[in-house]
Amino acid sequence: MVEIRFLAHVDREKCVSCPLCENVCPTAAVTLPAKGAKAEVVDEKCVACPNCSGVCPVDAITLVPREVPLRLGLDATEEEEPAIVALCQKAHLHPQQWLCLCTATRVREGAAAVLRGATTPEEVALATGTRSGCTVYCLQPTLRLLKAHGVKVVQPEGYRWYDTSQTCWDVPEAVVRKYPGHFLEEDLAVFRKA
Amino acid sequence: MITQPHPSFIRRSAYGPEPKTRAAALPGIVGLDIQSLFPDMPRAIYVEGGDLGVVRAATRNSLKDVPMDKIRPGDKVNVLASQYGFTIMGGDAYAEMLRTIKDVVEERTGCRNIRLRVCTGFRIREPDEIIEHYRLREHFPAGAMGIRAIDKGIPIETEIGTLYGVARVYDADWIIHAHHGELRELDMHRMINRAYKPFAMSYARMETRAVAHMNFGPRSSNFVSRVIFHSPFVQSKFTFGCFLLTSPQGITGVTAGTDLEALDRKLMLLGFKSYGKIRELFAEIKDCIVVLDGTGEPRYMAGGGLSFGNVTEAELDLFDLDVVPVSLGFGLYERPRGQPKAKSVNPAIRALVINHMWLGVPQQELATHIPTIAVGDDLARLLREDPMNHDFMARCVTADNLPTAMKFAHALSGTDKVVVFDGSFGTMTVSPSLASYLTERAPHVSRRVDEELMPKWLRQRGIAPESIEAVDA
Repeated sequence: MVEIRFLAHVDREKCVSCPLCENVCPTAAVTLPAKGAKAEVVDEKCVACPNCSGVCPVDAITLVPREVPLRLGLDATEEEEPAIVALCQKAHLHPQQWLCLCTATRVREGAAAVLRGATTPEEVALATGTRSGCTVYCLQPTLRLLKAHGVKVVQPEGYRWYDTSQTCWDVPEAVVRKYPGHFLEEDLAVFRKA
Repeated sequence: MITQPHPSFIRRSAYGPEPKTRAAALPGIVGLDIQSLFPDMPRAIYVEGGDLGVVRAATRNSLKDVPMDKIRPGDKVNVLASQYGFTIMGGDAYAEMLRTIKDVVEERTGCRNIRLRVCTGFRIREPDEIIEHYRLREHFPAGAMGIRAIDKGIPIETEIGTLYGVARVYDADWIIHAHHGELRELDMHRMINRAYKPFAMSYARMETRAVAHMNFGPRSSNFVSRVIFHSPFVQSKFTFGCFLLTSPQGITGVTAGTDLEALDRKLMLLGFKSYGKIRELFAEIKDCIVVLDGTGEPRYMAGGGLSFGNVTEAELDLFDLDVVPVSLGFGLYERPRGQPKAKSVNPAIRALVINHMWLGVPQQELATHIPTIAVGDDLARLLREDPMNHDFMARCVTADNLPTAMKFAHALSGTDKVVVFDGSFGTMTVSPSLASYLTERAPHVSRRVDEELMPKWLRQRGIAPESIEAVDA
């Protein structure tokens, strides 16, 4: 369970209605409802990552303590273990592998979120509490789980995230041969043994 | 040889507390001269506080034969820098290399639209702090700008599909890859394509950084950087690379060229030559207290010229490509058959005292696996509020001051061996007992590297043994 103790707060006097904050929010909690409108925050979707306050060019966004911490996360044991294992295997992930180092969340929990119906990275984040730290590394396992489950992910407008998720399983054989000495086949063999 | 400790300057930052009394000032703490341990290690031309003219001259010399004729006076050029270069010995040497690159390109090509791009990891505002501290806008009047992994991207078509760079990295006619050879994240790059790494990290969007870190293996992750570099898009903009070379003694030189593969090979050989023995020496330590007391996050903080991340993994020879430890993501959890088990943190570290560090990188495993003491309420407060280390402070204790923390660490660990990661190069900041132990072990380490390990590292990469003698900073 991840406890979110802070919340993004917009100083409307300072906000210049640029779209930077909207484009870096991992859960689509910060939005500009219309062109020229001030940024708004949906409290229950804000995971208090450092992105919006970090990029704001006029320091209009600060992280303030929540009156009541937001608790995010799920109990993966409530899902059928074979289903979790099967989804992880399909995504070439191990259930016990880290999904998110910042929040100490395992891939198992991301798989459970997808099995429960999450269809976007934003929904997985809100179900598990991931993407509340660096917001970077957990995106790949999340995309891989969603795609392995057959979800057609749709890249959002702007640049909140781009749909790219190459893995070492996807490298064409000709390319492997073109760049010898990169241990691609050897690393795949290691993955297979694990 | 025992000498005075030389802790590096601590740069003030929103990501760290106010600097306080340094660990090097603790009674009994000494400096251990690195040169006397390993006389064959590449020697420094510059150490912190020295004459930056030496770095300037080395940069000019490295660039004198680099062709620049494709840059025309009316073109736009981006000099690409990475934030960790500014944590090497206070950052002045790296900043000087960047300024000199700009001066030389301007002199040789007549181009005046040379901009600086300072790339960063997770500390979003760090580039702005860097640009201000080193007064880089003054030297780059055409523009000095920070680059973050969450900034707007640009698609790069590669042989493994579309990957994404940061748009403002590539918003020029030409790019100059200005990096350094310091040994960090060895668990990620294993000295394979080290020179290419920023193309999938510093210069890349977050999705692409995560592809390299999470979707490729413990030896193949820099393949991602390689295919990005070889993409038609990047090749259409690349001019040359320029690298600040380091050894644990300090800055050893500057090298530059248009052939990144040749530069990479040089970096690799110098990496073995410069860091092979000091890594093995740290692996000899069976019990110690580590004090963190420098600029940046723990894993990239140098002590005796070697970053702490090398010590948290010192139990494994990460130059050895037959060793495949379980690492970060990399799709592995259980260790593959026949492989050594990687610990989350080297168990020789019996206690960790944090006197000064910056936030902004997930590093919770430190407090999870080592008894950890944070010095001062200001550091504790920052750690408590760090979104990248949700439970760090729930797993460590706080001391009011450094002497109290050390007393507690000594009692807890039962060892009097102390090593301080304070950014020092040239000397290692240690307790006398550890200085004696390392001095006694150094000849054994030197022999083992020369006779067993170096030949193996070279053989695994298909490199002739005489290459290591021939390479020079």
